Amino acid sequence: MHASIDNLLSLRDGQPVDAAIAAHVEQCQRCTAELHKLREMQSKLQALPQLEAPSSFAEIQRAMARPAAPRRLVSPRLVAALAFVTLTAIFFVALRDETAPKAVQRVQPATLQEQPTDVIEHARVPELMAQSQHLEDLLQRLPGRPQIERVSTAAMIDTIEDRIQWLDFQLSDAPDSGLNEEQTQRLWRERVELMDSLVKVRYAEGGVAF
Amino acid sequence: MSQFAGTEVTAEVLSAARGGDSRAQEAIYRCYQRPVYSLIRRLIARPAIADELFQDTFIEILRSLHSYSGDGAFGGWVRAIAVNKCLMYLRSRWHRSFAYLDADENEPLADLLVDTASGPAAQVQASSDVERALATLPPLTRTVVWLHDVEGYTHGEIARLMGRTASFSKSQLARAHQRLRELLDPQSESLPCTHLSTIC
Repeated sequence: MHASIDNLLSLRDGQPVDAAIAAHVEQCQRCTAELHKLREMQSKLQALPQLEAPSSFAEIQRAMARPAAPRRLVSPRLVAALAFVTLTAIFFVALRDETAPKAVQRVQPATLQEQPTDVIEHARVPELMAQSQHLEDLLQRLPGRPQIERVSTAAMIDTIEDRIQWLDFQLSDAPDSGLNEEQTQRLWRERVELMDSLVKVRYAEGGVAF
Repeated sequence: MSQFAGTEVTAEVLSAARGGDSRAQEAIYRCYQRPVYSLIRRLIARPAIADELFQDTFIEILRSLHSYSGDGAFGGWVRAIAVNKCLMYLRSRWHRSFAYLDADENEPLADLLVDTASGPAAQVQASSDVERALATLPPLTRTVVWLHDVEGYTHGEIARLMGRTASFSKSQLARAHQRLRELLDPQSESLPCTHLSTIC
């Protein structure tokens, strides 16, 4: 049995691999050749040439001189709260409609509504990250957005997605921006809540579309 | 090797740029414009979008200089801003509207991504097989392989950036190499499958 590409990549990158697999690769001509090809591909990627930027510094300066976009008059937290209340209402309306028999089997989102509030309130960062990942997976499994959708629903989805993007930006920069554990935890908690909201809205929207 | 490695500006230049000295700001621009633009073009398919993100990235760099604490390489800080800009775009509804957001789509986009009309042929390297093959990968797959294999991010770092798991990053990397191999070394497709646990 030959090594998987995952194992070969781990070997290439000096990451731990099962000793039996490592021993096999050393002795197996094919696996050694595969490993060599993976190294070669990495070298080719690294050797791709640098590209010259299209903008000159003067253009950057001009862009910086333009007036900035007007600040939001409503705080993002308020927008998120309003969105949450509205989408919860939509969700329950959709659930009510769901009592009619459907030909298509639908995915029931396992959202936070099914969990005690204090579980999320006191969850640590790794747990919140896992919850966030779970909701991401759930979102991926939902049907695609309909071609035609209500303006209010589309706007709500966009608002939530924008807020999630902002949170992602904050979180991805967390170690460098000096955020402490509590602040990071708060951001992750908000991300989980927003992801939960997004799943609910998308679920409700899918229900209307069926 | 990351193209940001070994590119640093002096503390004096940084200090002057923070104070609004346009010559110092230009020095920073000249130092990082190529690595920043190269990174963005490898992650973002559409040249017009990449150009816009490049400009946004530099505006943010120059406006946020005061927030660079001095811990870690300045090049790493610059790169983090560029990567964040790209990831934010890849997650955005605008990108989704182009219908090639996630890692599950399989439509090749080489003709769109390697756009020879968007710049000098020598730059775009349309004839480069590797460049072309890279451009056909789905956006997230391409992002993972570039960040990992070229920029040197770990799977954990990629997972954190994307709000996913390290195993997601690993599977995307494996997928990227599998597809690059198929495109660049089609003969290997006819060989018996060697990837027992992941690909088969």
